[in-house]
Amino acid sequence: MPVNDPHEGDEPVRPWDPIVRGRATLDGLEQLVGGFGTAVLALLTLCGVIISALACVVGIGLLVLPTALRVLRALANRERARLSRSGPELIAADPVPDGLLAALKQPVTRRELCWVLCHASFGLALGLTGVSLPLNAVRDLTYPLWWQLPPPGDTAGAGMSLLAVNELFDAFLIALMGVGWVVLTLLVVPVAPRLQAWHGRRLLAAGPEADLALRVAQLTATRAAAVDAHAAELRRIERLLHDGTQNRIVAVTVMLGAARRAVAHDPAIAEAMLEDAQGAAEKALAELRGLVRSILPPVLEDRSLSDALTGLAAACPVPCEIDADLPGRCAVSVEATAYFVVAEALTNVARHSGAGRATVTVRRRDERLRLTISDNGRGGARERSGSGLAGIRHRTEAHDGTFALTSPPGGPTTLNVSLPCGL
Amino acid sequence: MRIVIAEDDPLLREGLALLLRAEALDVVATTADPDSFLQAVDIHRPDTAIVDVRMPPTHTDEGIRAAVEARRRQPGLAVLVLSAYVEQAFATDLLAHGSARLGYMLKERVGRVQEFLSALHRVADGGTAIDPEVVAQLLTRTRPDNRLERLSPRERDVLALMAEGLGNAAIAERLFVTDGAVHKHIRNIFAKLDLAPTDRTDRRVAAVLHYLESGGQHKA
Repeated sequence: MPVNDPHEGDEPVRPWDPIVRGRATLDGLEQLVGGFGTAVLALLTLCGVIISALACVVGIGLLVLPTALRVLRALANRERARLSRSGPELIAADPVPDGLLAALKQPVTRRELCWVLCHASFGLALGLTGVSLPLNAVRDLTYPLWWQLPPPGDTAGAGMSLLAVNELFDAFLIALMGVGWVVLTLLVVPVAPRLQAWHGRRLLAAGPEADLALRVAQLTATRAAAVDAHAAELRRIERLLHDGTQNRIVAVTVMLGAARRAVAHDPAIAEAMLEDAQGAAEKALAELRGLVRSILPPVLEDRSLSDALTGLAAACPVPCEIDADLPGRCAVSVEATAYFVVAEALTNVARHSGAGRATVTVRRRDERLRLTISDNGRGGARERSGSGLAGIRHRTEAHDGTFALTSPPGGPTTLNVSLPCGL
Repeated sequence: MRIVIAEDDPLLREGLALLLRAEALDVVATTADPDSFLQAVDIHRPDTAIVDVRMPPTHTDEGIRAAVEARRRQPGLAVLVLSAYVEQAFATDLLAHGSARLGYMLKERVGRVQEFLSALHRVADGGTAIDPEVVAQLLTRTRPDNRLERLSPRERDVLALMAEGLGNAAIAERLFVTDGAVHKHIRNIFAKLDLAPTDRTDRRVAAVLHYLESGGQHKA
């Protein structure tokens, strides 16, 4: 399954907006604390592994080392799960095989040993720094409030070791240092988790062999979905041609036949039948036009995706705003998929959401076409097999795209689809 | 002739009824799905039914099954099945229990009113009406048996018309030849295909269709 990233297509990033920066710092702090936790566990595990490895010399280690490796695997999987929450997914590794040699032969085990070394040292240090920065800031900022309290023993904070604090002025100087700590926190904490996670992401990612197998499974699934979607589409077209257009034309020939028979003995009846025949022929034409449009809308081919979407919005019973900013064109199949995603989504909005307004945003960024369709309806949309949403997912995944739906009860509903442009 | 029509497309259903009534035929009921069709057959006891193959709910072969069921309930009911396209399997299903009082035709033949009416009458009178398209498919099928190649072109024409269910007189009229000539062709055909000769049209159609369908592997 492709990774669904609900943050795709967010508003442009403004790195110095204090709110954005503050939130990034809090997020970073949360991750650093988590990383600090696993780093402490990594240190303990590392000690365990080293001790049991040394104990191998006397023999008992041979019995303990497999257990140590199992603990290491469990910890590594925990770290994989943690990192997956804040970025691309890391697949959990299978349990350690029985037998020490088999376990040590695994490339995964060797990479995990490297990781535990890095994380217990570098990761621990970074976590410690990251966590202590905001603590220092708080301590120094609040210093003027409690500087007169008797110091608990001789040990004191960084501020006091540099300055001899004798009066309130000095205390405020220290508070000024606290401001420095804050700035340092805002600068360092948002980027530190990435640094802390770097070795984990590199060493705990599945090896190239596992990665490919996963990719093959994913491609097989999406290809099956593509074939299914294609077959369903052909079936729909066949139905419309047979039961619609063809029946109309048969009706035309029936009426023409009857009219020819009637023309000699009752011209008035013949006239009425000819009228019916003409009506049926016109209906056949209208249906044929509708069918052609549903296969590939001519406007999509002749003009652009934005124009085609504008046409869709105009036909939608719910007032709909199209915000499409598309320099250049994408591959025909991608544009057609985008068109049908929007068509299907707007049909859903009109049918089920009870919304009074819908918005479609289309952007092209990083060689991907990103579609966001949102409405202010009652929400609670769910993906059932055979539903329009399942159809959208299939069509999207058939193009190696991603699909994400957020629709809490009470609304609003937002559908995010991202497609590779294919050019 | 008392007729019940089963056709889910309203325009075509009404068009058919209009056409038949204009020909002074008695259309006693028009229905849009298999269930109401079977009900109408029970109520009106028609002698002929015109049935569309694709009907609700699944739009596949409901018409064929409804026709078979109607004939089970009312043996001797003549059924003309109309189809939007030719499907050999439908014809085989329909003719599995003999070909008397059965017809299988493309919908668009209805527009050729004269021919449609004669096929309808033929079926109602105990004969068979098979669409030329079905017969053409059977004739062009590759087969291990090459006895068909022994037929002269004219004999092939006669064979095709026989398979459609036409009688000697009708074949003669179509090919602009005398009854005697048709008779001679038919004797030759039966001899060349190793079929037992028969003069009864219904048996003849069955024999010819069976021969064509089986690829000549089983002698009829």
